[in-house]
Amino acid sequence: MIARRWRVGLVNIGVIVALLVAVSYLPPDTSLRDVQRSGTLKVCVPPSFPPLVTGDAERPGFDVELVGQIAQRLDLKLSLNVQPLMGQDFNPRNWILTRAQCDLIAGGLADTVQNRGFLQMLPTDVETGWVAISRDGVMPAAGASVAVFAQSSGLGRVALSSWLRAKGLRAVRAASATALLEAVASGSAEIGISERFALARLDPAAVGLRRDWLTDESFAHNKMALGMWKGEQTLWRAVAGAVDALRDGGELQQLRVQYGLDGSLESTLRP
Amino acid sequence: MSELLPLIRGVYGIWLREILRATRDRGQMIGGVSRPLIWLLIMGVGLNPYFRGEVFGEVRYVVPYTYLQFLFPAVIVLNIMYTSIQFAVSVIWDREFGFLREVLVSPMPRPLILLGKVLGGATAATLHGGIVLILARFADVTLTPMQVATALGLMFALSFGLTCFGVVLASRIRSFEGFGVFSNTLILPLYFASSSVFPLDPALTRTQTAASYPEWLVFLVQINPITYAVDCLRGVLIGFNQFTPAYGPIIIASMAVGFFLLALVDFGRSK
Repeated sequence: MIARRWRVGLVNIGVIVALLVAVSYLPPDTSLRDVQRSGTLKVCVPPSFPPLVTGDAERPGFDVELVGQIAQRLDLKLSLNVQPLMGQDFNPRNWILTRAQCDLIAGGLADTVQNRGFLQMLPTDVETGWVAISRDGVMPAAGASVAVFAQSSGLGRVALSSWLRAKGLRAVRAASATALLEAVASGSAEIGISERFALARLDPAAVGLRRDWLTDESFAHNKMALGMWKGEQTLWRAVAGAVDALRDGGELQQLRVQYGLDGSLESTLRP
Repeated sequence: MSELLPLIRGVYGIWLREILRATRDRGQMIGGVSRPLIWLLIMGVGLNPYFRGEVFGEVRYVVPYTYLQFLFPAVIVLNIMYTSIQFAVSVIWDREFGFLREVLVSPMPRPLILLGKVLGGATAATLHGGIVLILARFADVTLTPMQVATALGLMFALSFGLTCFGVVLASRIRSFEGFGVFSNTLILPLYFASSSVFPLDPALTRTQTAASYPEWLVFLVQINPITYAVDCLRGVLIGFNQFTPAYGPIIIASMAVGFFLLALVDFGRSK
């Protein structure tokens, strides 16, 4: 009796569920098909952003090797498109990266809300965040000068600037990572702040300085990521699937170890 | 307890009648499936190219999600709105064909009769909202069981409020034809003016937002309660809120309580 009462309703629901499940497998765009037709995965990278992009043929960098393995898994040929303007300006619009040039953007993008406004980000498990260069690893008192090299990876500059103001610190813009190190070494700034990998090619210990995470509730650490164009869902799914497979197979971890990215900075700047 | 049991059975009986009627009504079920298909498959996919950037750093709408992901929670709300408000047709039907009169002269208190009908309508509307979740894969929205449970809870509360609103309308509009016209002129403007298909960028100030849209439209969006229901579901399903997250649950709960009380008053006057 009860079963008969519900039969028509359940059949209707079943038909609808089956239809919607079938529809959910339709491809929402042609991005993967287009890439498969061309047989090439075009990846835009900066000339250098060690250790993610090194420009060295022997050790090309974490991101370069990663996209190489992704292309291999998708049965595509990798085409690295080196973009000289990439990373030269904190406004990514000035890098002039277009959809026609790149299927993927690698080598220096963090998975942040700022970047997610423009691209879909695919995290690569490599940690980044604001890093402080100082003599003693201690937060300076209010009124001190802080050299800031706000690089281009997409970390929240507004949050950093608000934090500096709240702490009463005076921000001085550094033109480059080297200028930042020199400012702290010469004493013209008490500490220097920049993104983790912007400082990667420098050796602060050589001039008696140290490197610590800068941590605060207003700016959490982020993962580095590969950037993909919004709305290219089928390609996104294929690349995300390849990254997941590399993660599960241990290749991603192996790459992190190979480039010294498996750990993170031990210490944080003390209050 | 022995006095309560017949009342509970009475509420259950009315609820069951509404559910069976809703699930057996093929027209209503087809409507429930055609709306998400039209909005997500055709409009979402069709407009997708206009919401993506062609140059990194340049997009029209800076929201950290794809257009399909942005649209997904709004389509759930649209399905709920249609089913809930159209439920009032069943109230008019019952009144026209005498069923309501028979129930009203039964020993069941009127508030419980109304509760049974509204619970039935709200359950059917939640079912219609819930089936859209099947398309989460298509829209690339990843859901955890906790997110699904929270979303279903919110959907039910919203359905309850809107079903009561439908009852209020039904008690004031006496004919099927009048109600059909009125509900369409109500549902679509409420839906379109709820930031469902175009985002108000939360990063922009009021002045900046007014530069993108005329102030009267921004005002309409901000005073529309459906805006906050859509925003609340967006918060749960894709982790993105355009407005203060607490507003959504408060407004949904207020609608449920407020419209139920109003429906109670109107239903009490029914003859």
